[in-house]
This record gives sequence, structure tokens and C-alpha cells, in this order.
Amino acid sequence: MNGFWDTRVLAVSGGFLAELAQLRRARLFVVLTIVQAVTFLLLVTLYGLTGSRAPTAVVLSDQGPLGVVFLQDLANDHHSFALTRMTLPQAMKKLRRGDIVAVINIQAGFSDSITHGKDTVINVAVDNVDTDMTDDIQRALPSAIVAFGNQMHMPGIRVHAVENDLIDHDTGFIPYLVVSGLILDAFVIAGILGAVAVAREFESGTVKYLVLAPLPPLYSIGGRVCASALVSAIAMAFPVFIVILGYRVLPIHPVEMMAALSLSIIVFSCVGAALGAVLKRTLPVASLIFGIALPLYICSGSLEPSRFDGPVLWVLAHFSPVYYAVGVFEHAFHGLTVTPESVLVNVEALALWAVLAMALAGNCIQRGIATGTGATRVEQEVGAG
Amino acid sequence: MKIIHTMVAIATLDLKMWQRMPQAILTALIPPLGMALLLVVLSYNATQQPVALVVQGSGPDAIKMKNLISADTDTYALRLTDAAGAASLLKQQAVAAVITIPSDFDADVDRHSAKLFLTLNNVDIDFGDDIRRSVNRSVAQFDAPELGQDGELDPNDTYMSSVNPYNVSIDEDDLRQTNVDFIHYQVLPVLVLLVLSVGLIGTALLCASDTERGTAKVLLLYPVDPIVLIAGRLLGGVLACSIVLIPSVLLCLVTKVITPPPGHWPVLCAIFLATAIAASGMGCILGTVVRGSKNIAMASSVLATYLFFLGGGFTTIAFLPDWLREISTFNPFRYAIDGMRQSLFYPDLSGLPMDVTVLSATAVVCLVLGALVVRRSWAQ
Repeated sequence: MNGFWDTRVLAVSGGFLAELAQLRRARLFVVLTIVQAVTFLLLVTLYGLTGSRAPTAVVLSDQGPLGVVFLQDLANDHHSFALTRMTLPQAMKKLRRGDIVAVINIQAGFSDSITHGKDTVINVAVDNVDTDMTDDIQRALPSAIVAFGNQMHMPGIRVHAVENDLIDHDTGFIPYLVVSGLILDAFVIAGILGAVAVAREFESGTVKYLVLAPLPPLYSIGGRVCASALVSAIAMAFPVFIVILGYRVLPIHPVEMMAALSLSIIVFSCVGAALGAVLKRTLPVASLIFGIALPLYICSGSLEPSRFDGPVLWVLAHFSPVYYAVGVFEHAFHGLTVTPESVLVNVEALALWAVLAMALAGNCIQRGIATGTGATRVEQEVGAG
Repeated sequence: MKIIHTMVAIATLDLKMWQRMPQAILTALIPPLGMALLLVVLSYNATQQPVALVVQGSGPDAIKMKNLISADTDTYALRLTDAAGAASLLKQQAVAAVITIPSDFDADVDRHSAKLFLTLNNVDIDFGDDIRRSVNRSVAQFDAPELGQDGELDPNDTYMSSVNPYNVSIDEDDLRQTNVDFIHYQVLPVLVLLVLSVGLIGTALLCASDTERGTAKVLLLYPVDPIVLIAGRLLGGVLACSIVLIPSVLLCLVTKVITPPPGHWPVLCAIFLATAIAASGMGCILGTVVRGSKNIAMASSVLATYLFFLGGGFTTIAFLPDWLREISTFNPFRYAIDGMRQSLFYPDLSGLPMDVTVLSATAVVCLVLGALVVRRSWAQ
């Protein structure tokens, strides 16, 4: 019995060590994989930047105190504007050059008009490059005017909004995005390394020799996938540190984060291994994984709770491990509940995904070996004989 | 004549090699396709949010407020329900917020103390702030119709109320005559990424295969200047880009995704051609400097992504921090994206001479540098 296990452990550890040696020789590839993952964080950050604080110039020609009060209301209005004071010619020049998206002109006499109950007009010039940005500004200005009116206790106002938030703190869009981005980083790194570990065996033809070994080739290839998962876990330290140190987003529940990350790496390494067995070539692996990662990111509740995207996308999201992993990660980092399922259910679903992904990888590798080497035919012939 | 014949022969050979490398084609096409899908979904995400509206009041003011909120279709995907239904939807995360018009709304309006209740699942500020601003705008519109979207843009002041209790109204001037929707603005620059990706990866892999398979030595024996052979390779890269780009543009035209003014076609073609030449030149450099097809595919994909998003393909440049905006000024593909947007979306061609000049200069530099690097590599 001991000998039975010894040979299997030997095969797995052989594959494990061989893959480690291989990755040591392919340092540039590992570095490029990490760069690809970090690129993902930068992409979502850039997208997050356009979600708030429109760069806007304010021309404050009013000499009275109320112009400054209104300016403050604009600055405080729900992260709508990143305001810079400048003169009108400077502002218009910047607007035409595309450096800012709007110019708000608070004209001379603003304070006098408000004090004497007279109407006044705020002139706004907008670079309406697209409707989304114009809509944001068109919403933000009345919102600031409402805040100003309430602050001034203007008597004619008949309706007031009363807000009750479900969560006691607001979470910034970029901190929210980069946390879910980490899951996709795990997908990119573990997926690519897992896929390349398996595809290389087919590409270089070594799988034919593994078939001739006295043990099923799955042991040796499994060892390789384990090594790629270990390297992925180490490589994931870079994006995680970038999020923690660079973005200053600290996990509230670090153990939960580690558990979700470990399970995600197992799932994605196995998914990558399955993909590698199907492709049997290393060249398209990186592009394919990156290409899949982009839409997968969106359809798994990474921008906002997936339930908000409608029932169809929400149901589809359940077929992706990213959905559960994002649910656990947002809770681990921000304490947010972004899925109707509890954190425990999400962790259990991830564990189930890990088992399924292992079975999928095993099946794909075996099928790949059978089709790639004619092993099934040989086995059938031997069996028939 | 012989020079042109040789160039065409090399380009044809390269295209045939491409045809035999489906993995390389996949490698070049998948990132732009994935990016397009990402941008489409992002654009839809950026618009409506699911919100439940509970109308408990039945007076004219409550109905007026309900109509104002219902008309804001840019922000809300509204579901009319009762208080219990709204609480249940909020708990299941089927809605992001609940807006309640209470039963005593009309009476309170007369007392100038009416309340519009907003219960918000403030998971992140992006959609949360959109809803907050929109609710405030509806509140403002109730007393001052000129503070609605149509009122801001109305030059004739037809929305102007007799009494605006806020004493402040807005006069909006738009810089451009056309309104481009978010999805077109965001997604169409993927055409530039497509050209970049195919030009870069295609030419880089072909250059690498010359070194890996030793065909460079054979090519050097051919009795023409190596520069002609390299020019043929670049021509092959440009043709590969065209083979992918032309059907994509035709598809966009047929489906009316793009309808550029007729006079803008020459500029648009110049932008795509210069981008393809520059990408192919860069591909030559990358394929010669980096070893191993796997590494080349990965490096090309990363480079294309950076050039694309630093060129404003994924964002609006004005929102970037100053230092990143400075970097983006030196990214030639920013001019390709800017130029493409200008020629596709806007009636005038302002800024395009600059865009085309920078791109053409980049194409020439990449062409010369690419040729020099490949020639040196072959000589070694």
C-alpha cells in the first residue's frame, strides 16, 4: 500500500518540481503575467475616475459672501465636481483644449440678487463630448442649488429630500472596483500559468512520454498545476500589496480574504488547466484568458451588486465563480454585502466550484491526452486483444 | 518594379502564414473583442439604476412628484410598488433604492414642509450619488421647472416659473452641436485597438518566426536590399490590419453604428492607415527584441492595452490626473482615438490636421526604426 502511494506522491512531486524549474527559467513570462494583472487594476481605476468629480472650472465674479457659499455647495455635492477657480478666458481655453469638461460662471451681483430675493442665472458651458458626462453635470447643478436653497433657508421651498442610507459609510467607486479587480487578477495570473503548464506538455510532445509511464499522466500534470497555483499565490501578493499600500484599501476581515483568494486560485488554476488541455498551444492562452476576464469581470457584480443589473445577468452570474469570490472579497475588504447570498454561502459555493473545477480539469486533460496521443485507441485495442 | 514585386510577394507570403496560424489570429482578435464587450456592458451599467417608487399620497402634488420622477428615465429603471414590496425588493437587492412619496405629501406641500424619502443601498458612491443627485433634481423641479434638464437647455425660457424659490436658475451652453451617446463614444475606439493589436501581434510573431526558424538567413540570400524585404513585411502587417478592419467598419456602417459625414472618410482612412503602419513598425521592433512567441504575444497584448487606455480609449482624458494627462500627450495613439472620434461624431474637422500629422510622423519613425532593428537582427 505504501509503495502504491509513494509512486503517486513521487509523480506529483516530480511534476511539481519540474514546473517550478520551468517557471524559474521563464521569468519574463511570469513578470509579464503579473504586469497583465496590474494592468487590469489600472484599467478599472481609469474607468472609476470618470465616474465622479468632473474636472470643472469655476469663474467667481461675485464679490459677496453668497458666491463662496454656493461654490462650497458645488464642491460638496455628492462627489460631482473637482473644482478649480480661474478667469473666464483661462477656463474657456482649457475647456476647448479638453482639459476640463465644464465652466461654471457665478456672475457679479449673485449675492445681491439672492439677498434681495431676485432671480439670478448661473452660466454653464459644457463640453458635451458624450451624453453621460453632460447628464451628470445637468443632474449635479440642480442638486447643488437645492443644497444652497436649504442652507439659505429659502422660504418658498416646499419639498425637501430626506435620505436614509442602509450602510453607515460611503465606499468610493475606485476602492470598490479595485477589490473586485483583485479577483480578476487571480483569474488572469492563475488561469494563464495553469493553462500554460498543461498546454506546454501537449505542445512539446512530452505528454506522449507521460502516457508510457507506469502511472496515469494526470499525476505528473496535476503536480505541475499545483506548482503553477503556488506561483500564482505568490504572484498575487503584488496586486494585493498594490491595493493595500497604493490604494490604501485595507481588508477588515483578512482571514476571509485569504480564504477566498486561496479558493479562487485553486478554481482558476484548474479552469486554466482545462483550457490548456483544450487549446494544446501556449500562444493564444494569455490573450484568451485576458479576453475572457474582461466581460467576466462585468457580468459578476464587480461594478455594483449584480442583482442591480437585472434578473438575467444576475442568474447568469451564478454560473461564474467570480460572482461568489467578489461577494466574499467586498465583505472582507469593505464589510459590504453585495450578493443576496450570505458570505458563508459564497465561500461554500467557491469550495464547490473548486471541486468542480478540479473534476473539469482532470476530465479535459484525460480527453486531451486521449485525442492528442491516441491513448484511447491503444487502450481499446489492448482491451480487445 | 522588381522592388514592388518583391514587397508584394513577401506581404502575400506573410498573409498566407497568418492564415495557417489560427492561434495567432485568435491572439490578436480576442483582446479587442473582449474590450468591446466590456465597454458595451460598462456603458449600459453607467445609465439606469433599479429603483422602487412608493406613492402613498393621492393628491395632485403627489401625482406631480410621481410624474417628475417617472420622467427621469436616464437615471431610473422604476418599479412602482407598495411599502412592503419595496422593503422586500431592497432586502433582496432587486432595487438599489426606494423613493417614497408619503400620504401627507399634499398637505405638507401647502405647509412648505413636504418630504420625499429616499432609502439608499449605498454600496458604492457611483450609482448612489447618481440617485442622490437625481432625487435632488426632481425636488428642485417640483418648485422650479426650469431646473429640470429641458429647462437648463431651453434658450427661450419656456420652462421658467413665475416664482423660483431657489432664486437660482441655470443657463447651459453646449460646446458641440451634436450629442454623442455614451456607448458609441466609449465603444468605437476599439477599432483603433483592433488595428493596434493585429498590427503589433501579427508583425511581431512573423519577425520572431524568422529568427526562431532561421528563415532570416534564407531571406538575406535573396538579391534585393533587406529594407525591401522588411517593407514587404510591414505591408503584410498593414494588409492584415485592413482585412480585419474593413469588414468591422462595414458592419458598423450597415448596422448604422457609425454614420460619418461623407467628407470625413479620407481623414478617417488616413488615421487608420497611419495607425496600422505605426503598429506594424512597433511589432517589428517587439518581435525582434523579445524572444519566444508566448512572451511576444503577452508583451504585445500588454503594450496594446496600455497604448489604448492611455490614449483615452477607455476613459475621458480630462478626468485623468495631470501627470497621466501629460504622459498621454506623448502617446501617438491618443491622436488616433481623438481623430477617429472627431471624424465620426462631430460635424467639423477641428484638431484633425494635428492628429493626422502626429500619427503620420509616428508611422514614419516606427517604419524606419522597425526596419533598422530587423535589419540589424538579420545581419547578426
